[in-house]
Amino acid sequence: MQLKARAMAGVLLAAGAFATPAAAQVAEFDTNHSLFHEAPAGSHMTVYSPATDLEVTPTEALTLRAGWEADVVSGASVAVKAGPTYQAAHVGADVVTSASVHDLRNSARGGFTLRRDIVSVTGGYNYSIENDYRSNSFNVSARTEPLERDTQLEIGYAHNFDDICNRVQAAGAPSTLTRALEDSTGCFTSSPLRATDHIGIDTFEGSWSQAWTPTFVTQLIYTAQVTDGFQSDPYRSVVIAEGIKAQEHVPNDRTRQSVTLKANFYLRPIRAALRFSLRGYEDTWGIQSATGEVEFEKYLGESFRLLVRGRAYDQTGALFWSDDYSGGDAPLGPKGQYWTGDRELSPFWSWLGGVRGIYTVTPAHGRLLGIMSRMKVGLSFDMQGFNYSQFTLGGAPVSNAYAYIGGLSLAALF
Amino acid sequence: MKLPSVRPCQLLFAALVLVGAPACVTVRAQQRAVLADPVMQFDSEPHAEAQRVHALDNREGSFGGSGVTGGGCGCN
Repeated sequence: MQLKARAMAGVLLAAGAFATPAAAQVAEFDTNHSLFHEAPAGSHMTVYSPATDLEVTPTEALTLRAGWEADVVSGASVAVKAGPTYQAAHVGADVVTSASVHDLRNSARGGFTLRRDIVSVTGGYNYSIENDYRSNSFNVSARTEPLERDTQLEIGYAHNFDDICNRVQAAGAPSTLTRALEDSTGCFTSSPLRATDHIGIDTFEGSWSQAWTPTFVTQLIYTAQVTDGFQSDPYRSVVIAEGIKAQEHVPNDRTRQSVTLKANFYLRPIRAALRFSLRGYEDTWGIQSATGEVEFEKYLGESFRLLVRGRAYDQTGALFWSDDYSGGDAPLGPKGQYWTGDRELSPFWSWLGGVRGIYTVTPAHGRLLGIMSRMKVGLSFDMQGFNYSQFTLGGAPVSNAYAYIGGLSLAALF
Repeated sequence: MKLPSVRPCQLLFAALVLVGAPACVTVRAQQRAVLADPVMQFDSEPHAEAQRVHALDNREGSFGGSGVTGGGCGCN
């Protein structure tokens, strides 16, 4: 289990820049379905994520929204992690093991936006539950559009009150003697074998969007987040010495910040847009990353638009990352009081390529089926490849490190 | 190589130019058709994009800038 997505507590800042709801549009219904699959050596994971959202704008001053989404997770993840030094001392042994994973996350959300002149205020709430994790989060944001609406400024804040299931450890046991959670049986009940740890997440975001010319806009976003609580994968153990494996142990506090610059150019002669995005990130665990993304979207006819995109991502590892805490020469060996088997905390880079097509049906007269003013269907596919420079499975590089993401979306405007 | 010295007032002037520049820019209402086009939005498909970012963030050590809503993980 990972905390990163949990950490993305809702601050809706980027959506809807330079677009306002059409006065005649009363309601919008969206349903989105994505399928994620990866099967690198040592693990495999498939996640199906359906989502449904309804947004109603009864007056120009008010929008109400409600939604539901789920993650249906199936696969196997690394349960016990060891590195090449340990493997070399145990030739023939399977020092890296996997465990099957089945989980279902359900999430319900609701919110509102109030508008007056050039100012809008948005609030929202999200409740999410899965076998081993519960999340309550609220978010608020305020936006203004001064300078004849060529400029948009927005600030937002969100807070998560989350709970994570853990194994009851022996009283007073040092972290080197903690044992991993076997499964989610008994979680969030009065079971004497289960404990509940708490996580608080504060997220701040500010953005500045600017229309520079009729065909050129930019957006600058600053995001900061403070997380306090149990952030390890409770199911994962790491071999930290001969004969000793302990539950993954990472710091309880993590502060993160990122700056993102986006730029959109419209290429009028070919009715297409070229979009660029650059992001720099750092956190107190020592991870620094850079992300670059380019998208090209073009109209093919009046109703169909095709998008092609590419993305590159590069990160350093956490300060306490090591591929083998049981020994070896640097960069192997113990790294202070923490240990992790999470490949997302190791240094790596990745690439992504994808396409998306969206077909919009807008009736010239009247409404579709008598009720819809517009309908939209979208299909997308992305492929991602990972290159881990240090993470291994007992010394064996992670082969077949590819992920595939498919998406289907349907929207109807009433 | 010696870098040219920069006085505080020059820095302040540069900052004022940077902050004040948007005030010099005006895209008139009748010129906004392209800006309102879905292909020029920073997030024209927010729900679908949120799902994609959710999947990407779960495989990386960083986050931010995408403005997606959250609550729970489902990533394991």
